[in-house]
Amino acid sequence: MTDSFILGLSSGSACLVTCGMVMFPYIMAGRGGVMKIVLDLSVFLATRLVIYFVLATLAWYFGQAFLTSGIVRTFVTGSLYVMFAIILIWYSIGRKKNMKCPAAIVTKVEDKRLVPVLLGVVNSIGFCPALLLILTKGAAQGSLAQSWLAFLAFFTGSSLWFLPLPFAGKLKKKQVIETIGIFATGLAGAIFIIKGLILITGGILNG
Amino acid sequence: MNKIKTTAGITWAFLGLILMIILFPGLSGFSKSFGTLPFMKINPRYSGGEVAFTQSAGACTLAVHKPVFNGLVRDRNTGFVQVDWRGKIPDQIRDTIDYDNDNVPDFVIAVDTKKPASDCCPLSGRVTGLGISSRTSFGWAARINLRKTP
Amino acid sequence: MDNSSIAVSPKKTFGKALLYTLPMFLVTFMFITGGKPDFSDPARTVAILVTFFGMNLLYFLMHYSGKTDRYRAIIFVIFALTLSFTLIRNMILIRNSMSFSQADILECKIPFCHLVIPMMILPAALTKSIIFPGTILGGFADIASMVVLWLAATVVLGRGFCSWGCFYGGWDDGFSRLRKKPLVKKISDSWKWMPFAVLLLVALTAALTMIPTYCNWICPFKAVTEFEKVTNVESAVKAGVFISLFGGLVVALPVVTRKRTQCSFLCPMGAISTLSNRITPFTMKIDTNACTQCFKCVDSCPMFALTREGIKEGTVSMFCSKCGKCMDSCSRNAIHFGIRGVPAGTRKNFSRNLFLFVSFLFMAVFSSQPIVFTLNSLYNLIF
Ligand code: SF4
Ligand code: SF4
Repeated sequence: MTDSFILGLSSGSACLVTCGMVMFPYIMAGRGGVMKIVLDLSVFLATRLVIYFVLATLAWYFGQAFLTSGIVRTFVTGSLYVMFAIILIWYSIGRKKNMKCPAAIVTKVEDKRLVPVLLGVVNSIGFCPALLLILTKGAAQGSLAQSWLAFLAFFTGSSLWFLPLPFAGKLKKKQVIETIGIFATGLAGAIFIIKGLILITGGILNG
Repeated sequence: MNKIKTTAGITWAFLGLILMIILFPGLSGFSKSFGTLPFMKINPRYSGGEVAFTQSAGACTLAVHKPVFNGLVRDRNTGFVQVDWRGKIPDQIRDTIDYDNDNVPDFVIAVDTKKPASDCCPLSGRVTGLGISSRTSFGWAARINLRKTP
Repeated sequence: MDNSSIAVSPKKTFGKALLYTLPMFLVTFMFITGGKPDFSDPARTVAILVTFFGMNLLYFLMHYSGKTDRYRAIIFVIFALTLSFTLIRNMILIRNSMSFSQADILECKIPFCHLVIPMMILPAALTKSIIFPGTILGGFADIASMVVLWLAATVVLGRGFCSWGCFYGGWDDGFSRLRKKPLVKKISDSWKWMPFAVLLLVALTAALTMIPTYCNWICPFKAVTEFEKVTNVESAVKAGVFISLFGGLVVALPVVTRKRTQCSFLCPMGAISTLSNRITPFTMKIDTNACTQCFKCVDSCPMFALTREGIKEGTVSMFCSKCGKCMDSCSRNAIHFGIRGVPAGTRKNFSRNLFLFVSFLFMAVFSSQPIVFTLNSLYNLIF
């Protein structure tokens, strides 16, 4: 739970770095005041939540189908953790240099009411190593409920970043917060590398 | 304005000087007062929690603590119960414990204090195994892992 | 009090420096000996006298030569080394090993250090308890005394704690001085925000797991104090992390960069101290009238607190640990210890004298115990 929350929290910050500035002019286009912003934000978050529940379910079934024996589960999960965590760190470093948002395309949609929903979809399934890590975690869980819980924690962590965004324009130290977010993403990657290494070494030692 | 700022700054600096001068002679007094603040208690996850009941067996007293499930805002599903043997502990300990006092034994714990080795045999679905177990300055202590719902 | 702005030298004549040392001499005598010196044990007597005279000699030299960091660093590094020596020797005497035992955890006997503070705040607020297996009051390094000491030092010195009070900082400070010139010069200064990310993560993970995660998983100083016995894969990985972080951030990087990389890039306590710099009475100031913009101070700062732009504007960032290294490198005394609210370039010597008294007093008294203990042990070992 804690690691999923932390992963969500840190990847949410990275997401904010790249996508926040593209998405939020649309979510807060100033049509209808605060209520409209809150509504759009809620639709955006609700879409993400639904997608995450679907992903949690898929990941868990996938895990049940392929990660059958304990030892396979340990090795595959451990190796995927290490691999995706390395990509996550790489990704967070890269993001600092190249701030392009994959969700930008969604904002070109004609019907603006669909923008928060589509943004929610793209934001939750858009390629991100943190998502791959949480999918791996979901697949390795003992029960579907645990997989849901892991995704819920991930969702909660990542959503925290979006809540103060209506005030983002007023934040003086945006750059600083972005930098801290990037480092936090890298650190979350480091946590998963260590988790992966412990799983793999434990697997080797326990035969 | 500058004058006010300067005076305020220098006053603040002198207050710092006074604080530093009284800090070390007054440390034990300050610490005592600080130590009585409401949050200055060791969390039961570390202290082992309050003692729920004790039983005497010769020179050795068995103390069973209240189960600890403390989380940040609410109880967690996993926790432990601490059991202490205080006083002159025998070489071999074997006790059947009913930690929740429902007249149904929950686990049997065996300790060989000489070897040293410990073992726990769960008798209830809520007991998941032995946590840490070690000789202490007062005798022996062990923590048995629990879950809230069997 | 001087008011001139150009090149006021902090140097003093021999007599004046001696006069400034006298109050420190008296106060440290009272605090180090407890006011009632006991000379019955020769080893301890020698240790106390060497510590006491050594410290006051360095304080005298700070006034006489006008250099701050050069003499501060000597005590600061000795503090770090002797504290580790004291801890390790105690552990070996009591337990025959550097690792703490399950009994220490069960009996809440783990010494507390200030690096736990960032992790205990949230749980203390929400659960009204401390998530650390230590002692609240009494015993070695109890929680109440350590928090009080840290609080006082932080309110008065701000991040100055990291150059005058922290018993770990001396490690990377020491290693950062081993080479005359840095091998690696270009380091992006955005890394200095890393401790805030570490702070965010450890504060949250500690609150959610109720475990002081930094101590459990990250702290490089476990390599020179005490750590969990290696009994399984997890404890082996932890030991690996402690040793690699110590080797990388405390030894190797400071040597090649001449910067305090552990303190600048990792320590979550450093992040809190950095924020506290905003309220403390003492700050570094730049006298733009005296500054020739040679930027020697920027290169010498081990904490990434100075930038060329900042110097031009006359600002020192909140990352400053008030070590005085920049002052020592400035031939014009343009960068100087100052007091909040007092304009830069004015009352330079007054501010320095006051700051030195306060910060040195804290360092001298706080560090005296481990120094005396180490000297005492060495004396017993040799004679
Ligand atoms: S940054 Fe941390 S380790 Fe370094 S001196 Fe400050 S508190 Fe100590
Ligand atoms: S600005 Fe000067 S006093 Fe502050 S940390 Fe850097 S060198 Fe030390």
